[in-house]
Amino acid sequence: MEGRSGLVGRLAAIGLVAATMIGAIAFLSIESDRGILLLLLAISIGAFAAGRVGILRPLLQRALGHRATIGVSAWISTLVLCGVFREDHFSLFLIGRVILITLACLGLHLEFGAAGVVNFASAAFFGVGGYTAAVLSAHTRIPHLLVLVAGGVASALIGSLLLLPLLRTRGHYAALITIAFGLLFRTFVEVNDSLGGPQGLKLGGLQILRFQFNDELAVGPLHASFYFNYVLLASALLALAFVLVQRLEASWLGLALDAIRLDEIGAATFGFEIARWKILAFTLGNFLIGVAGALSAFMVGFLAPNNFTFPESLTLVSIVLLGGIGNPWGLALAAFLVVLLPEKLQILQEYRYLLYATLVILILRFRPSGLIPRPMRRYFGQPA
Amino acid sequence: MNIGLLGQYVMNGVMLGMMYALVAVGFSLFFGVLDVIQFSHGDVVTGGAFAGLAVYLAFSRAVESPILLVMLTLVGAAASMALLGVAIARGLVLPLRSAPALNTLLLTLMAGTVLRESIRLFFPNGSQPQRFPPLLGAGAIGLGSFTLRVDNLLLLASGGLLIGGLHLFITRSRLGLAIRAVAQDEETARTSGIPFRSVVLLTFAIGSALAAFAGVMHGLYYNEINFAMGLLLGVIGFSAAVLGGLGNVYGAILGGFLFAGLQTIGAVALPLASAYKDVFAFAVVILLMAWRPTGLIGERASERV
Amino acid sequence: MPIKSSGARWMALAALAVGTFVAPVFAKDTVKIAFIGPLTGGNSAIGIGGRNSADLAVRLRNADSKSRYHYELVVLDDECKPDAGVQVATKAGADKSIVAGVTHYCSVVAVATVDTYHKLGLPTVVWGAVLPDITYGHKFPEIHRVNGTMINQNETAANFMFQQGYRTWSVIHDTTDYGKGHNKYFSENVSKLGGRIVGTFGVTADQQDFTAELTQIKSQKPQALYFGGLTPIGVRIRQQMDKLGLEAQFQGTSGILSDDFIRGLGPLAEGSLAFREGAPVEKLPGGKFFGEKYAEQKYTGAPEAYGPFAFASAELLIEVIERTGPDRKKVIAELGKVNNQDSIVGKITFDDHGQNTVAVITKYVVQDGKWVPWEDSEYSNGKRKLRGK
Repeated sequence: MEGRSGLVGRLAAIGLVAATMIGAIAFLSIESDRGILLLLLAISIGAFAAGRVGILRPLLQRALGHRATIGVSAWISTLVLCGVFREDHFSLFLIGRVILITLACLGLHLEFGAAGVVNFASAAFFGVGGYTAAVLSAHTRIPHLLVLVAGGVASALIGSLLLLPLLRTRGHYAALITIAFGLLFRTFVEVNDSLGGPQGLKLGGLQILRFQFNDELAVGPLHASFYFNYVLLASALLALAFVLVQRLEASWLGLALDAIRLDEIGAATFGFEIARWKILAFTLGNFLIGVAGALSAFMVGFLAPNNFTFPESLTLVSIVLLGGIGNPWGLALAAFLVVLLPEKLQILQEYRYLLYATLVILILRFRPSGLIPRPMRRYFGQPA
Repeated sequence: MNIGLLGQYVMNGVMLGMMYALVAVGFSLFFGVLDVIQFSHGDVVTGGAFAGLAVYLAFSRAVESPILLVMLTLVGAAASMALLGVAIARGLVLPLRSAPALNTLLLTLMAGTVLRESIRLFFPNGSQPQRFPPLLGAGAIGLGSFTLRVDNLLLLASGGLLIGGLHLFITRSRLGLAIRAVAQDEETARTSGIPFRSVVLLTFAIGSALAAFAGVMHGLYYNEINFAMGLLLGVIGFSAAVLGGLGNVYGAILGGFLFAGLQTIGAVALPLASAYKDVFAFAVVILLMAWRPTGLIGERASERV
Repeated sequence: MPIKSSGARWMALAALAVGTFVAPVFAKDTVKIAFIGPLTGGNSAIGIGGRNSADLAVRLRNADSKSRYHYELVVLDDECKPDAGVQVATKAGADKSIVAGVTHYCSVVAVATVDTYHKLGLPTVVWGAVLPDITYGHKFPEIHRVNGTMINQNETAANFMFQQGYRTWSVIHDTTDYGKGHNKYFSENVSKLGGRIVGTFGVTADQQDFTAELTQIKSQKPQALYFGGLTPIGVRIRQQMDKLGLEAQFQGTSGILSDDFIRGLGPLAEGSLAFREGAPVEKLPGGKFFGEKYAEQKYTGAPEAYGPFAFASAELLIEVIERTGPDRKKVIAELGKVNNQDSIVGKITFDDHGQNTVAVITKYVVQDGKWVPWEDSEYSNGKRKLRGK
């Protein structure tokens, strides 16, 4: 029944997204540690109170039913966020990082949250995209937009090398393969001088047609930091990826992936071709991770083997877990917190790995469904 | 290549193999009794090394005899890690037995990270490599171009004794029998009156104590420990255990020496820099997994549908 | 209620007058300067020493009532890793309230962040990294350096070792540009003098096991082992040399000139050699002053090898900002004109690449658990002997 409940749902969606945006603006603007802590406290109290009063859960449920509205309002609020911070180099840089990490985690979520193929080398695939971008942009004249795609393709191709052992194994054996690969990649890039060695590689700015991304953006009297360009492109890519993943999940492909994740043997007895779906999820997921890595390399202008270590892969996995396996919105929120909290709360910088690990332990132990739990797949009508 | 050079490489390979074997055995034991991969095991090795260092620092002024110091260090490290292993088992692993295996893997990975970061943050100067005292003396026997160090011999000997002792324990003692029973079939073991929980906790204690020994060994061999050493050791130990077939203790030992052998071959025989040895070893592991997915010796397992 | 008595009115006016004079003294604008160095990890002792020294410079200036501004040191940790370095460099550069930076000890990081500072327009003065490319590899006006480069260091090192009678070396260097740079300059100088490098090995900066390299070196029988790298692996190599019974003399660069090297090795460190640009602190023009003031502040930890340079860099930036005001572009312009500027490490002049020339190279040897200048040690007068000859 659309009508009134539909309107309420849409308003709830817009309202929640707007509230998140305001929270994000506040978060990025506040400089002092104490201010941030106060803000976090206020948000937690607010969320807790709303939960207690009983409006949070139904609002969330309603809102999640209108994915298109959430998507559009999220896109608009990202633009507003960029506009508010247009002159602030560092805030835009952080926003860009959050968006690209969300993109990578979206790929990881496809592999992991959808198909249950565990990938502990996500940082390595991020790195493959980055190094591809660095090498191609330095030595060839391939247009940079294609370079981004090439980064994704390279990731997917290298990932497919692992597919044979991955498909033949299950569970912890599969985990070992990806972990071993992650370590292998990092050592290889560090030792190999043609890829820069431990010194890493530098990249020039992204250039599409005549437009140099490393130049400041000036539209009339408005000036924006050059990071604005990257953030715009990144959010466009993220929006595309989001739509892609959501369509996938809503379709029968998504149903197949769910079945395989939940019970591989059961799915096999029902006639699902396990191998085919795992290949799809793994390859597509790595493609997304690779593209994110390529654009990130352009934005930062630099990459080194130390960016792609095992703890980094674990951080990406933590984000997917914290956000709730199978829930793309929770993912964005988790990415935002994981990237920004240590930047804003200087005390946390030292302790950040400890903090993430402890949080994940707590969540896995007591709340395995994550921050924003994923609703059951629904095909017929709204809940009563 | 002269004999001395060869001898040096062999010695190094055997030392590494011993360390990896000790870690791998832990992985196999845990998997055997609980079907879980306790990924914080590598960081328990680090924990053992640091605990040993702490005990040494506490007693170094009071105690004169180096033999006593070594004993104290080992006992301190093993005891503290055994307790830690039990704590991890009780708090994290046992409660999540019915959850998907992936959750336990992730949980223990995170627990390992917590342990590693705690050492880095809370041990004085933890982020820097720490000097580990050369407790076994500096004696050496020169055999031509090959120097045989006494402390290396002692380490090898004690490692061998430990593994031999473990073998005897598992095959000859009642507790060992209980462990094997639980590893084979939990339900039958329980109905036979074996206290499941106690056996599991005991297994974790034993495995962690072995890891602590490996950590102290690492410190004595390299005269240095650092907070991140457990990460690579854990992955290597896991690889070794898998190569030999998870759940199979002898396979784990074999896998440990095999991995060390691969690394040595990678460092010596390949025309590339010795830093590629890890790349080579891991690549071979991945290939082996593709060929024999359940390890070289194979896992005896069945799956409930 | 209107102020009726004229007395009260005069008092009010007087208070206002006094206030206008007093207020500016309390209302100095705060200017932020960044300090970036390795505060965690294997080189942290040097990084913390540098930070304390820069902090000292800021404190001394703030205690001076005649200074135009109040200075604040923003401390950032580059962990001696290029990725972390680029991250904090972006942070410092992007923060418009930070006017300038005293940057980097690790060459690996310094060479990576050069582009970032240029992109974001932050003027920087390097305090401890010695790779020549950091100033000579580009023409960015933002980058300057107060300490010397490794070129002179290695020339002096080769000459000295030759004088001492060494003719054959094996080289271990780390595979970063830093280690490779050391290898390049040292090897060049050795060949010029007629010595021989019998083997060269590249190792990673965090390598644990050097058995493969050292075993091969043992069979090459060099008189000295030249190490181009930093303290963490220097300690490991020296230790494993001993385990394998390798008798060669251990010769390092400024990278091992730290107390951590001695702490990590204990008695094994005895007799190791190192070289550094600049005179020992006590013999510097402002050395005594620096030493006294540093001790007054009771910092935990010594200034270490590059503390004086960090102090000099911070001082220099503060001087320049006092002249130009907190404007990045003006600071960059003014830094380009620095000529014969007085400082505790001697006169500073930046050439067209922003590089200062430091003429003196000091040779150090470890004696009884301390780094001692060669001339003051018992090795120079023959009481103790170096190895390998």
